[in-house]
Amino acid sequence: MMSFLAHIVTWLNVPLNAAGKLLTAPVAAVPGWLSNTVISAAMGVILLVLWKYTSNQDAIGRVKDDIKANMLALKLFKDSISVTLQAQGRVFKGAGGLLFHAIRPMLVVTVPICLILAQMGLWYQARPLQPGEEALVVMELNGNVDSAWPNVSIASMPAADVIIDQTRVFSKRQIYWKIKARENGLNNIVFQVDNEQVEKELAIGNGFMRVSLQRPGWHWFDILEHPSEKPFGPDSVVQSISIKYPDRLSRTSGTGWWVAYFFVASMVFALIFKPFLKVRI
Amino acid sequence: MTPDNNTRLNRRDFLKRSAVTVAALSTGCAAKKKRRPTNRVIIIGIDGMDPRLCEKLMSTGQLPNLAKLRQSGGYRVLGTSIPPQSPVAWANFINGAGPGSHGIFDFIHRDPTKQVAPFFSVAKTVQGEGYWEIGDHKLQLDFWPFSHKPPTTVLLRQGIPFWDYLDEAGICSTFYDLPSNYPPSPSKYGHHRCLSGMGTPDLLGTYGTYQHFAEDGPVRTKDEAGGKRSMLFFENETATAQLIGPRNNLLKAPEPATIPFCVHRDKAAKACVIEIQKHKILLKEGQWSRWIKLDFEMSLPALIPNKHLMAICRFYLQEVSGNFQLYVSPINSDPSDSALRITEPPEFIKEISDRLGLFYTTGFQEDHKALANKIFTDEEYRIQAGMVLQERLKLLEYALENYDDGLLFFYFSSTDLQSHMFWWDSDLKHPTRSAEDAKNCFHHIHKLYHKLDSVVGDILRRYGDKATIIVMSDHGFANFKRQFNLNTWLRENRYLYPPNSTGILRNVDWSRTRAYGLGINGLYLNLKGRERDGIVEPGEQREQLLDELSARLEAVRDTNGERVIVKAHRADKVYSGPATTLAPDLVIGYCRNYRASWATCLGDMTKEILLDNDSVWSADHCADASEVPGVIFSNRPISAGTPALVDIAPSVLTKFGLKIPPSMQGENIFVM
Repeated sequence: MMSFLAHIVTWLNVPLNAAGKLLTAPVAAVPGWLSNTVISAAMGVILLVLWKYTSNQDAIGRVKDDIKANMLALKLFKDSISVTLQAQGRVFKGAGGLLFHAIRPMLVVTVPICLILAQMGLWYQARPLQPGEEALVVMELNGNVDSAWPNVSIASMPAADVIIDQTRVFSKRQIYWKIKARENGLNNIVFQVDNEQVEKELAIGNGFMRVSLQRPGWHWFDILEHPSEKPFGPDSVVQSISIKYPDRLSRTSGTGWWVAYFFVASMVFALIFKPFLKVRI
Repeated sequence: MTPDNNTRLNRRDFLKRSAVTVAALSTGCAAKKKRRPTNRVIIIGIDGMDPRLCEKLMSTGQLPNLAKLRQSGGYRVLGTSIPPQSPVAWANFINGAGPGSHGIFDFIHRDPTKQVAPFFSVAKTVQGEGYWEIGDHKLQLDFWPFSHKPPTTVLLRQGIPFWDYLDEAGICSTFYDLPSNYPPSPSKYGHHRCLSGMGTPDLLGTYGTYQHFAEDGPVRTKDEAGGKRSMLFFENETATAQLIGPRNNLLKAPEPATIPFCVHRDKAAKACVIEIQKHKILLKEGQWSRWIKLDFEMSLPALIPNKHLMAICRFYLQEVSGNFQLYVSPINSDPSDSALRITEPPEFIKEISDRLGLFYTTGFQEDHKALANKIFTDEEYRIQAGMVLQERLKLLEYALENYDDGLLFFYFSSTDLQSHMFWWDSDLKHPTRSAEDAKNCFHHIHKLYHKLDSVVGDILRRYGDKATIIVMSDHGFANFKRQFNLNTWLRENRYLYPPNSTGILRNVDWSRTRAYGLGINGLYLNLKGRERDGIVEPGEQREQLLDELSARLEAVRDTNGERVIVKAHRADKVYSGPATTLAPDLVIGYCRNYRASWATCLGDMTKEILLDNDSVWSADHCADASEVPGVIFSNRPISAGTPALVDIAPSVLTKFGLKIPPSMQGENIFVM
């Protein structure tokens, strides 16, 4: 099942990466707050429309009318304990009903949201290295503590220097390197692992670039979270390669904050457009 | 500086420029006409810069910038404090008056009402009052209706610091790393800013406690002066350990908060990976990490969110392949989110950190304890001290960029804490080093002076024609070859009983003891009515005893006939002012090459009165004031013949057109 999901996500990532590169290309040229706001606005409206057509709008309308009626009853008959309690019970039931009617559209919109967030994360979750800056590169290997270690090396490259060569963490089957960025650009680090060559993207530059934190292994969630690079197969000696990029410091488009900003901004835009699109939430 | 930094407008600039713009718009540029004429004074405090060495290096052309100041009449030997200890000396500088005004007489004071209860002289922590017990915790709630009083740290320095007069007159003053001012005294009018220096503790509440982890370390963490040693046990090349942090005083039985961390070593690569909280640090043998942010969680009762103290430390991987050794710097308060109040105003530290990132916030930054305890080699200490100096030079750059007018004070500790360990200007045998090593180490001090001379040169180039620049030190330096145990001398000469006493905090017969030593230079009489168990009658008996002790101490000779003590100063003759309550009765002024023994400081006794110093701490300044004066250089001619530390504050006030207040004992040293 997990392998099947991994296949699905890998296939989905191919067109999404192509579309993501194309559609989010302007992110590189505009301020982070602006690009995140525009994407959030567009997503708010698209998700609103999706909600409209995947939810039972009539049923939501009925429940909301019922809640309104019971709220009115609470106001009018506040002297009558029995009416008040019945109305309160119905309000709670109505709230539960609204939640029930939200399950289907929520499930439907969850998938595109995850895929879009993964694409946005490439831009906002970290910033590329700047020339002169150092970063850790971590390779995870298949096998257990007693397994043999492959011969691993990094091919020399113009974009970066290896300043601390491979250091093995035996208990975790990991290999660490420390590199120092030299030239701006989107490059590849080439690793020789026994007789096989594997690559990992390395982003060096100022401003916004698509930064792939990890080339994932064969796990559907990792592939979903790190869509940019082709995952390693289940039998590969290398299970993942990650680079510890620096955090991007911004309250609107920086590490950790950009997701919160996206949700708040998309909700605000969805609420603004709700009356025009006649959507019941 | 990066280009980004050069083009950035800092908050102070922004606010200032905005204010000027608004003022100009509202008054038709009248503000410009009314503005007080710009007056600038820059003081560079170089702790322990010695006049003898300066003069020697100036004469050989190694201090060209300072030599230039000397040629233009701006150089004098600067009288230091009695005793010449840094907290005393810098407090003299701060008050423009002697210890009688500020009440600091030694690193260590005692509470006479508790019969020799020692405490640090500059600051103390006052225990809180009241708490609410919940389970294992005791909570102090400082709001109504509980109104508990949490513990606070109080600055013990008394009197009025000279910046208060500037503050009142609306003249800005900014101090970086100012000693004897933790916690920083408040600014009443908002024109004074200060980053506390010497005396500022680490998060363990000490002056700096390193942690050392090694395969051959003790199984249970062992405390040593200035550090902790622990063992690392590797299994499959991975070891786990605990970093010890601040004590959680919210517990009924307080214990330190800790952070677990993992070390993975690769012997072949001579490197290791350290995993601590969210950080992964890859270090090669001999490499230092950057500053690492740590979050110490202090547990609180269930349902109350735990308290977090933000800290920083650096890791240094000393050895991988043989005996694995990892040094961790003292746990400093995180300047970007400081748990301690180390600046005035409190947000000043954040402003600095926003520009400079993370840096040492403890008062003692050079880890001399690690060298003294043989955790560091000479070279490792030199590198660590070099990193401190680099950080401080960046801070100086920040200070100069943010300086417009008023007073700017900047302090360097490098000369002091490196001289203590590397100074040796004698042909006599060094306490721990070979003659060649001692020579090389002293040469390093020469290079340090040269480096600081170039820093002064840079400031002169930038501000020489726009500001009064003062370069000064609080005292000089001397070799520390022999140590004198004052309490052993008192015991042997029947002032202190019983004859087999081993320490004044352990086994002293106070009913017969007439005098005792505590701290580095202090001698106290066991005075009736002052000491809890005092026996010496005030009046004639006291006078006679003081005269007798002075005369006998000044007559002490070493085995080779050398004089040991220049003068035993009577405190009632050298101190005056309102804060003399805790003053010792005699201040022992040692000759060059001599100092109070290590054991004397906390009252311990040794078998011999005079013994060799066997510590790598081979130079000191806690001698007689006449033996280790400081220096003063200025780009303005100095008219005073024998200026002293207490003269600097009055001179600064005079430069700003203010009157010298009567509380100050010093005078203006510059040509009027």
